[in-house]
Amino acid sequence: MDLVYTPAQQAFRAEVREWLAANIPDRPLRTLEGEAGFHEHVAWERRLAEGNWGMVTWPEEYGGRGLDLIEWLIFEEEYWGAGAPLRVNQNGIFLLGPTVIEYGTDEQKARFLTPMAAGEVMWAQAWSEPGAGSDMAAIKTTARRDGDHYVINGQKTWSSRASFADWGFGLFRTEEGSQRHKGLSFILFDLDTPGVTRRPIRQLHGEPGFAELFFDDVRVPACNRLAGEGEGWNVAMATAGFERGLMLRSPGRFQATAKRLVELFRAHEADASPAAREAVTRAWMDSQAYAYNTYAVAAKIMAGGSIGAEASLNKIFWSELDRAMNRTAMQLLGAAAELKQFTDGRTNDWLDGYIFSLSGPIYAGSNEIQRNITAERLLDMPRVGKG
Amino acid sequence: MEFLIAPERLELADAVRTYLAGTHGAEVLRRLDADGNRDPAIWAGLVEMGLPGLLVPEDHGGLGLRLLDGALIAREAGRVCLAEPLVDSALVMVPWLAARGETERLAAIATGEYRPTPAHAINGWQADGDGPSMAGVDPLRNLAALPADASDDPLLLDLGALMSAAELVGLAEAMLDQAVEYSKIREQFGQPIGGFQAIKHKLADVAVALEFARPVVWRAAQALDDGLASASLHVSHAKLVAADASYLAGESAIQVHGAMGYTYEVDLHFWMKRAWALGGAWGSRGFHMRRVDAAVIGGGHAIGPEQTFA
Repeated sequence: MDLVYTPAQQAFRAEVREWLAANIPDRPLRTLEGEAGFHEHVAWERRLAEGNWGMVTWPEEYGGRGLDLIEWLIFEEEYWGAGAPLRVNQNGIFLLGPTVIEYGTDEQKARFLTPMAAGEVMWAQAWSEPGAGSDMAAIKTTARRDGDHYVINGQKTWSSRASFADWGFGLFRTEEGSQRHKGLSFILFDLDTPGVTRRPIRQLHGEPGFAELFFDDVRVPACNRLAGEGEGWNVAMATAGFERGLMLRSPGRFQATAKRLVELFRAHEADASPAAREAVTRAWMDSQAYAYNTYAVAAKIMAGGSIGAEASLNKIFWSELDRAMNRTAMQLLGAAAELKQFTDGRTNDWLDGYIFSLSGPIYAGSNEIQRNITAERLLDMPRVGKG
Repeated sequence: MEFLIAPERLELADAVRTYLAGTHGAEVLRRLDADGNRDPAIWAGLVEMGLPGLLVPEDHGGLGLRLLDGALIAREAGRVCLAEPLVDSALVMVPWLAARGETERLAAIATGEYRPTPAHAINGWQADGDGPSMAGVDPLRNLAALPADASDDPLLLDLGALMSAAELVGLAEAMLDQAVEYSKIREQFGQPIGGFQAIKHKLADVAVALEFARPVVWRAAQALDDGLASASLHVSHAKLVAADASYLAGESAIQVHGAMGYTYEVDLHFWMKRAWALGGAWGSRGFHMRRVDAAVIGGGHAIGPEQTFA
C-alpha cells in the first residue's frame, strides 16, 4: 500500500490536534502509580471518552470511532506529540479490549467494552504468580466450577494497577490436576468481590503501582469467562488479531522522548561526552525505525495479515530503546540526575522515566523470553535444552 | 511512502532470489576465488534476467522501475555475495546518469554491453574500475586506483550509500541464516548448540537489528526517489543501521561457528569480507553519523511524533 496522507487523514490529524490543545491538563498530572495521581489519570480517561477519543479503533457501537490502524497511528502521534498524560487504563484498552473484541460474546462486548471506552472501569492484569513468572504455564491459582459460578483460590502477583483499579483479568486453572498450558481459562473478575484481598507493593519509585492479589473462595459468575473453558492459554497467546503486539507501545511515545532528549542534549552540550552525542543521535534513529516498522505492521494487518512472533522483536527493541534514552538523559544531567525537582522547580521527569524504563525489559514477558521466542519461532532454532 | 512493499515488487525480488540461489551458490564463490574471480557466464545470466536494465527508463529499453525495486534487488545481490558489479552499475550508475540527463548509453547498459562503474572521491578507489589494481580483503571484489576525474557529486554518493546499505542488509541476512543452520547441526554436550540460550540470544539480537534496519533502508530509497529535501539524512540513517547490523551479524556468525568460523574453509568469510568492504564504502560511519547529527541535533530537520515522514 502506498501511503501519502490523504486529505481525510490530514483533516483527522488536525481534529485530534485541536481537541488535544484545548483539553490537555494545564499542569502535568501526578504519577499514575500513586493513589492521587491514579484518580487524576482516571479523570483524564473520562475526558478523553467525552471527546470520543477513548479507543478510536473500536467499533462505534462500543464507544470507539471505527478507525483503521493508520488513523490510530496518527492519533497516537498527535497524542504523544502534544505531551498528553499516560493511559492509566492501558491494561484494559490495549490488552483486554482487543481480546474481548476477538473472543467475547456480544453480551460480553457490550458489558465490558463500553464502560472501558467510557473510562468508567479501570482494569488490572493478573497473570503472574509467585511461582509463575517467565514460566507462565506454571499457574496454580484455581477456579473451580460450582453451578453457574467459578470459585477462585490462590494468589496472583505483580498485578499492574491492581492497587486502585476496579476489575482484573487473568488466567486460572479451571481443570483440576491439569498441567502446563492445558486446563487454563481466561476469567474477568471484579476486584471488590468478597474474598479478594489486595496488598499493594511499593515499586522502585516508592509508589504502589502494582499489587499482590489473594483469592479466598472468590465467587465469579461463569459468564465472566472469555472463550471456552480450558482455552485460556490460546486466548492469552492468540496470534490472530495481533493489535496487542502493535498497540502496547506506539512509536509516538518514543519519538517524543527522543525529541526531549535532543533538547536536553542541546542544553548540556558543553559538558556532554562524545558517546552521549552519538546516543542522542541514535535515539532519533531508533525511534524513527520503530515508527517505520510499526506503520509496516499496521499496513500488513490492514491488508489481512497478522503478526505473530515478530511482536517479540518489537518488544525487545522498544524496551531497550526506552532504557537507553532515559539512561543517556541521566548521564547528561550529571549531578542533577538524582534530584526529584530541579533547582528551578521543574520536576525531574527523566528520573521517573529512567526508573520506569527499567521495568520495560521485564514486564509483558521478559526480554530473555522474547529472545527465546525469536530464536525458536522466527529463526526455527531447536527447543531442546533450555540450559 | 509504501510501508507494506507492493506484492509485484516482492515477486520480482523473489524471482531474482530463486535465480541467484540456483546459479550463484557458495560453490560458485569458491570456484571464482580459486580461478580468476570473474565468469562472463554469470554476467550473461544477469543480463538475460533483464537486471542491468531494471532502473533504465522504458524509452531507453529498460524496465523503468523505482529505487525501492533497485534496493530490493541489491539486497538479493548481498544475500548471495554476488561477484559481479550489478549493484554498482545497474543500481547506482544508471539512476545517477538518468538524473543527470546523460541518457545516451543507458540503452547499452540495459542490454549488458556497457557496464560503467562509479568512481567517487569519497571511496578513494574504484571497484571494477580500469585503473591499476589494488589488493583488498574481499577476494571477489576487484579494486582499482581512483581515476583523476572521479566525481564528488552528492547524488552519486547518496545512491552508492543507499544501495550498499541494501546490499549490507542482504549480506547480514545471509550470515544470520548460515549461523542458524550451523547451530542446528553442530552438536556439543549431547545436543545441537542452537538449543543453548547463549546461542539463541546472540542470534536473536541479529534478528532484532535486521528487523529495524530493513524499513529504514526502504524508507531511504523512497525518500531519495521522491527527491525529499531530507533524503540524504535518511540515506545516512540507512547506511549506519545496515552497516552496524552487518558487523553484528558477521561477528555473531563467526562466534557461533567457533574455530570453524575462523577458517577459509567455511564460506561465511566471503560474506563477512564483503560486509567489511561495503560497511566503510560510500561514506564512513563517522561521515554518516555527522550528517544525522547535523540534521537532528543541529536542528535542520523537524523531529518528534508528528514528523515521522518529514
